[in-house]
Amino acid sequence: MRSWFARAWSGAALVVPVWRMLPWRALGAAGAVGLLPVALARVSGARPGPLETLVLVRGAVLALALGLAFLLDDPARHTTAPVPARRALRVALRAALVAPVAALWWTAVLLLAPGSGRPPVGDVTLEAATACVLAVAAATVALRHFDEPEPGRGVATTLLAGAVLAPLLLPARWALFVAPADPRWAAAHERWAWVLAGAVVVGAAQLREPLVRRPVLRSPCGTSGPSRTC
Amino acid sequence: MTVTVSACGLTLRYGAARALDDVSVRLGRGVTGLLGPNGAGKTTLLRVLATAVPADTGAFTVLGHDPGTARGRQEVRRALGYLPQTPGFHPDFTPFEFVDYVAILKELTDRAARHREVRRVLEQVGLGEVRGKRIKKLSGGMRQRVALAAALVGDPGFLVLDEPTVGLDPEQRLRFRELIADAGEDRTVLLSTHQTEDVAMLCHRVLVMAAGRIRFDGTPAELAARADGRVWSSTARDPGAKAGWRTGTGAFRNVGDPPEGADLLEPTLEDGYLLTLDDDLAEVTA
Repeated sequence: MRSWFARAWSGAALVVPVWRMLPWRALGAAGAVGLLPVALARVSGARPGPLETLVLVRGAVLALALGLAFLLDDPARHTTAPVPARRALRVALRAALVAPVAALWWTAVLLLAPGSGRPPVGDVTLEAATACVLAVAAATVALRHFDEPEPGRGVATTLLAGAVLAPLLLPARWALFVAPADPRWAAAHERWAWVLAGAVVVGAAQLREPLVRRPVLRSPCGTSGPSRTC
Repeated sequence: MTVTVSACGLTLRYGAARALDDVSVRLGRGVTGLLGPNGAGKTTLLRVLATAVPADTGAFTVLGHDPGTARGRQEVRRALGYLPQTPGFHPDFTPFEFVDYVAILKELTDRAARHREVRRVLEQVGLGEVRGKRIKKLSGGMRQRVALAAALVGDPGFLVLDEPTVGLDPEQRLRFRELIADAGEDRTVLLSTHQTEDVAMLCHRVLVMAAGRIRFDGTPAELAARADGRVWSSTARDPGAKAGWRTGTGAFRNVGDPPEGADLLEPTLEDGYLLTLDDDLAEVTA
């Protein structure tokens, strides 16, 4: 009971400090870089075709995902490592705080994308959600397996490499980056949904703080030094 | 001694290297110093005891709680203050905001009481005057004190301090000694350091680690006594000494196995520490 109350209360009290420590600079830069080409295409009066519009929208999504790679950067990570507030709570709070901002940004991208060539909104929103969740999941993996307090740069580099290599290396039957006119569009978005589900599962699994101690294969009561006491 | 922290058979590997090799230790109230060369496993031991990383094997309890279970680990963390080797901060926060943030993470639920507690620890570490100044504008010593305040907030029963005096000037070190001595009055403090002086001045007990193992466990006087009859003075550096240097008086101070009729000197904790590591190395080599 105390634990639930404490957790809920901690979550509420953490909102303001966590909001302040979010990587707004990286997110802002990524958002601006993503939004700018779409906005320029709109204000310039250019009429890009569906494929060009899709590239602009996917570029914007990639930019935001790269910004989200920095979401879990925390210079105070080591100072705040062994505290009762769980890592999952802190990560969830960061994600929850940034989600409405990302949703607004995405709405702006869709509204600015030239209407004539705008790709199916639901499907590209699925792509955007997948890319964002993938970025955060990759950051949780880095958090779990590396000691670095600010792994964002490495995570962003890995994501960028993945985004560049995936269209080149994925076999045709697993293709993700297809055009709306392509007959594989629907199947590709089923795969996007699977990737999203996989990213959610991986990200959630990485949030567990391991208690694991491997089985003791020998007596824990041998002697190793003068402080041996058991 | 009332045992507050008890560890048995802690082992932790990084790849093939054993950072902790079957470490067992019991701690009671007061300040216990942890000495050892770089790479000895001091930080790893502290991180394991602070529940920042789990050990591969072994078990320990802190104030009666077993961090091997989720509930036990929560209880340990509620009773813990931890100052890491390289504390990080959110530079735009003030000391008050940062320590308040840590206090929230430590589940201090009542806002007014929490703010009182934050002010108390900031006063305790001498940062009351600058509690509203941005951390990025504070000196290194002041930042270290912010980290100590973060460790102290919530009045933890077990305080883990990883090289808290590194990089501090002598005056700041003295100030830190005062704080750590005060903290050790009524709680268990485990202090990792390279400063044998800090151990001599602060600790009622000292552990020496090397190659992931505890090599010595006793009082500072007992560690110094390990060098009894093994420190001597000479007019030139004794080639048979394990270590020797010219002192301010011009005479050489030698540590090792003295020749017949050598002019023996009173050993220090540092001499005992050096010889413990050296004897240990010889034992391993043999």
